[in-house]
Amino acid sequence: MSVEPKPRQPVVTSLKINKRSYDISLDTRTSLLDALRDHIGLTGTKKGCDHGQCGACTVLVDGKRVLSCLSFAVMNEGKDITTIEGLASRDGKLHPMQRAFIDHDAFQCGYCTPGQILSAIGCVNEGHAESEDDIREYMSGNICRCAAYPNIVAAVLQARDETKGA
Amino acid sequence: MDPAAPKPKENMGKPLPRIDARLKVTGQAHYPADLPTANIAYGALATSSIAKGKVTALHLDDARAVPGLLDIVTYGDMDNIEKPKFGNSGATSIGPLHDKTIFHDGQIIALAVAETFEAAEEAAQLIRADYEEDKPTASFDSPGAITVPAAGKSPMYKEDVKAGDFDGAYAAAAVKIDERYSTPTQHHNPIELFSTTALWQGDQLIVHEPSQNVTGWKVELARQLKVDPGQVRIVSPFIGGAFGSKGPMTPRTAIVAIAARRLGRPVRCVTSRMQAFGTQTYRAETRHRIRIGAGKDGHIIAFSHEGWEVTSRPDLYVVGGTSATGRMYDYGSVLTHVSVVQTDRNTPGYMRSPPETPYVYALENAMDEMAWALGMDPVEFRRINEPKIEPIGKKPFSSRSLIQCYDQAAKAFGWAGRDPKVGAMRDGDWLVGMGCATAIYPTNVAPCAARVRLTSDGEVRVQCGSHEIGTGVRTVAGQMASERLGIGFEKISVEMGDSSLPPAPVSGGSISTASVCSAVLKACDAIRAKLFTAATGEGGPLAGSHNEELEIVDGKIKAKGGASAKIEDVFKVMQVGAIEEYVEFAPKGATPEALKKLYAGTPEFHGGEQDEDSVKYAFGAEFVEVRINRYTREIRVPRIVGAFAAGRIMNTRTARSQLMGGMIWGIGQALHEATEIDSRYARYVNCDLQDYLVPVNADIKDLQVILVPEVDHAVNPAGVKGLGELGNVGTAAAVASAVYHATGKRIRDLPIRIEDLLA
Repeated sequence: MSVEPKPRQPVVTSLKINKRSYDISLDTRTSLLDALRDHIGLTGTKKGCDHGQCGACTVLVDGKRVLSCLSFAVMNEGKDITTIEGLASRDGKLHPMQRAFIDHDAFQCGYCTPGQILSAIGCVNEGHAESEDDIREYMSGNICRCAAYPNIVAAVLQARDETKGA
Repeated sequence: MDPAAPKPKENMGKPLPRIDARLKVTGQAHYPADLPTANIAYGALATSSIAKGKVTALHLDDARAVPGLLDIVTYGDMDNIEKPKFGNSGATSIGPLHDKTIFHDGQIIALAVAETFEAAEEAAQLIRADYEEDKPTASFDSPGAITVPAAGKSPMYKEDVKAGDFDGAYAAAAVKIDERYSTPTQHHNPIELFSTTALWQGDQLIVHEPSQNVTGWKVELARQLKVDPGQVRIVSPFIGGAFGSKGPMTPRTAIVAIAARRLGRPVRCVTSRMQAFGTQTYRAETRHRIRIGAGKDGHIIAFSHEGWEVTSRPDLYVVGGTSATGRMYDYGSVLTHVSVVQTDRNTPGYMRSPPETPYVYALENAMDEMAWALGMDPVEFRRINEPKIEPIGKKPFSSRSLIQCYDQAAKAFGWAGRDPKVGAMRDGDWLVGMGCATAIYPTNVAPCAARVRLTSDGEVRVQCGSHEIGTGVRTVAGQMASERLGIGFEKISVEMGDSSLPPAPVSGGSISTASVCSAVLKACDAIRAKLFTAATGEGGPLAGSHNEELEIVDGKIKAKGGASAKIEDVFKVMQVGAIEEYVEFAPKGATPEALKKLYAGTPEFHGGEQDEDSVKYAFGAEFVEVRINRYTREIRVPRIVGAFAAGRIMNTRTARSQLMGGMIWGIGQALHEATEIDSRYARYVNCDLQDYLVPVNADIKDLQVILVPEVDHAVNPAGVKGLGELGNVGTAAAVASAVYHATGKRIRDLPIRIEDLLA
């Protein structure tokens, strides 16, 4: 586009989220995270630091895990965005990673959980879930202050083979 | 077997998955800042850039020029409301917009409100203040620090406990130590940011804010706003981690409420991670001097614990952990003294096991030093000093399974295979060390109300104004109702986190499971009594049976002889569609005003060391293995085992998870967590999750939790001892003990970092 976007001036942005299209008018400074939460109403994605340090806002963009607080919404036009609300099937059947998180009690307060689950799916897709040590390392961008870490590792292991390429 | 779902042993409930698990993995658990609100405006805080002085002028023009700005709430705008109060529900007495005095760095100076979050942030950052600045006092050794004996100065700390003649016994002891320990400033850093969303509907105010104390906040916020408590409702159905940080209400809540009233629109203010360091509470740094004297046989004859804690200028916050450390072992004589040190900092507050984390760390590190001084195995040293009664009030323990915890944890850990010599264990380039320590937490309980309804089709609804902060209290309350009413867990629903529900105490001091389950138990028993009376009465399906012989299993009332009746048939006899019981539970020893105080948001705590009949504590033993790289001195904790006994375990899954989380917190306290302070400006400098270190997944490897069976009917009707704050007590001392075993270096100041082990 040749027109320089002006800060503060709203621009209409088209976002494809969980296979649905949304056209919303946004301040260009709006992060993808705030667009999801405040403008679209998908509040399953959480704000924990707004600095890319905690992982709570992790979503999948074109299948790869992205920190939605560090990405402007307007940068994501035309991309496939998946949030926690888009994982279960329409009939309510949970994604294997969601099921595994319940089975292994991989959360307590549940606040970091959407980010953990999307990060876990990304981690498996990247091929970084081959060993427990790998999972620990590649899931370390998602802080769980309740410290459910051993249970998160067990959940990722359980769901790993079912979620490859999901 | 899945380690997340331990098989229940004696006096333990099933490892049912959390009642809200599906909501939490699908993004449908709505935390207070998640609720969609029409026509909402966004607030952003501006905070002071100095720690001590006065605001002489505020420059708002640049902020007002930001497109979309709606309002700025600042000095003068809060004059018609009451200042906050410190204590109970209030985090601080500082009314930041009542007074242009600056008491600490990062104090609120204004709230900018705008149409969008982005505009509010921009405006807040353009607000500038002129100050008359004084030199601030940052911490213990800073000029201007004032040391005050805690006893008698704060209602939170009544006396310095003591017993016998410490001075005489210490002088005569054959083996003694006299050492100093310290713990750093720490911030809770729950992953959910602090936030307030205020909506007025006429003169009714609804506040959505993560809270561990909805009833207390309702009353305190109404007082500040000079309205009737009936006009205020606090809603907090899910809380994204709390650890004490969401117990007391901060001044922000009233400021946002005023902004919403002025604007005639809902206002939401989400505090940034950085601003939370100065506008919320924290665990203040502490210092300790411990003296222990023992005979050559290892029996302690003298114990002294002196503690110093930082607090703010206006509020004497004190934790005073000597109450627990002074009762831990069979000391003979005890001398304690706690002081608070006033500085120009924000007021500290409760953080997971507030007294025990620092004080028991110091005690247990000292116990390990003493064991070395005696040439004795540290487990054996504790066994020798196991008390029959506690040394201060000479009361029995309602139950104490510490030695069982040591035995089971030591066995699982392989303690017997340790080479006890310093530096004797190695694995390639890694020095291996092993250590252990005791965990202790007082068993408290408070009055609590609950409403339980059973319908004729076997649905149960439990309502209680407690708080689901991740502990699993919603799950165990439902489990209690399920067990007691013989109704399947899937037919139970539990509502919590709303001040319009029956009041529950603050979810602090590990009282929730004990208090809530005791209330739910009482309500269920009242429902049972009605059902049983109808079933056994004239025309009832079990006429002739006695109530006390009946049980409810799988929706059926069963008599001793084998006769049974469906619950719905008993409802038909009663000619009702539902039985609902509203009950108020008051623990043994409660004062006549106890229930009134529950509604007033100032609940009485019972248990711990306060009861006449016995002292009540939960215990645990933790063993850790550390590995220290011989070249880089990197410290790892690849293995940790904890065994804990805490009376009735309602749910082995949620109990294990809480203890596991606590143990990992303990590792964080040992190796990671510290808020750094620039002493020139009394300013926190690592105010984000990159520089404030907390354990991440890669820091934790092999972790084992052992639940040791224990039965204690004295603690409360549910027989439950709180364990949410037990797991992180002692852990840091066990790590320090293992570091000493590996390296011969005794580290007394937390956290233990690479630089402490160089050279």
